[in-house]
Amino acid sequence: MSHAAETEARFATWLAEYGGIIHKITRAYAVRDVDQAELLQEIRLQLWRSLPAFRAEAKVSTWIYRVSLNTAMTWRRDAAARTRWIEPDADVTHVPTGAATPAETADQAEVVARLYAAIHAMADFDRALVLLLLDGLAYREIAEVTGLTENHVGVALTRARKRLTELLKGISHELA
Amino acid sequence: MNLHDFEAVWKRQELPRGAEADLAALHATFATKNRKLAATLLVRDLAEASAGIFVAAVMGFVGWKLGPTAWPVAVAVALVLGVTGVFLAERVRAHRHKLGVEATMLAKLDADIAELGHQRRLLLSLWKWYLAPLAAAIVILCLTIRAHLPAWSPGRDPWFIGGYFLLMAALMVVVGWMNRQAVRRRIEPRLVELEKLRSDLLSS
Repeated sequence: MSHAAETEARFATWLAEYGGIIHKITRAYAVRDVDQAELLQEIRLQLWRSLPAFRAEAKVSTWIYRVSLNTAMTWRRDAAARTRWIEPDADVTHVPTGAATPAETADQAEVVARLYAAIHAMADFDRALVLLLLDGLAYREIAEVTGLTENHVGVALTRARKRLTELLKGISHELA
Repeated sequence: MNLHDFEAVWKRQELPRGAEADLAALHATFATKNRKLAATLLVRDLAEASAGIFVAAVMGFVGWKLGPTAWPVAVAVALVLGVTGVFLAERVRAHRHKLGVEATMLAKLDADIAELGHQRRLLLSLWKWYLAPLAAAIVILCLTIRAHLPAWSPGRDPWFIGGYFLLMAALMVVVGWMNRQAVRRRIEPRLVELEKLRSDLLSS
């Protein structure tokens, strides 16, 4: 197998294995379907482009988080400059649940949709932190993605958690 | 529900499989985008470099036609080539220092802020490295040509040459103003936005 074919096969495997990360980041940073599709394409392109720079000493997931989050934030800034709006003010209490797959129960789909709506209402870096937190990354891994120290990650996460809890307060009561 | 419950629901969410990505289409899009970007950059760099080289060549030709007493034209040529050199050096520097998207978020943000800050400084100091050398080159060229004109030529009229310099000065003021506007409208808001992001990330 040629080097190019090997690289392509490896990339395809990673996309299959870690596609969920990209999907969640895409949905967290773009609201409309058309924007999500555009962002998804851009993230995949940036991953492909930065593949030669990937060093084996870093975890694949860390590399994917870094590229995807950097791309998503740059995409949002560029999109904001192109158009005056990217997304309306997020309304955490009234969100469509259409993005859910049939396998999700209606309740679960609604909670997930409201989580995304809450994430949309947060600042760009808090979004990233909350995504990493909800995905269950350790402080050390979050530090590797963000470039913050572990201590700083702790402080930043406390703030992000507080903000998320505030945004989800209504739904917590409803679903308690 | 508490945050742990939300985390559990989050992790259970159904996600589309990444394998759906059409690698052939991705490859084609990547190649097309890369080709377009490379062509755009090549055209821009060639246009900037060749414009400077063309002006320097015309000046050199004029100096050569005027003879050895027109040696100050060589200084004007050097100034124009110097400005072209700065342009090209800037392109190379920007290309070399660009941090990839695989960097940490903080490092990428710092690099973007540094690059925007550099562009801002370059545009605000346009007078020093672009307009002043070009103005000096124009003055040297015009005065050298004037010294070689016959006494009856209208080009020796102080009003004519004064008017020409005034026109050039006005043009340069407009160029300087347009660049300041670009800094104010495009670069500074973006810089403020990035610095706010950075302070959000680092604020406790």
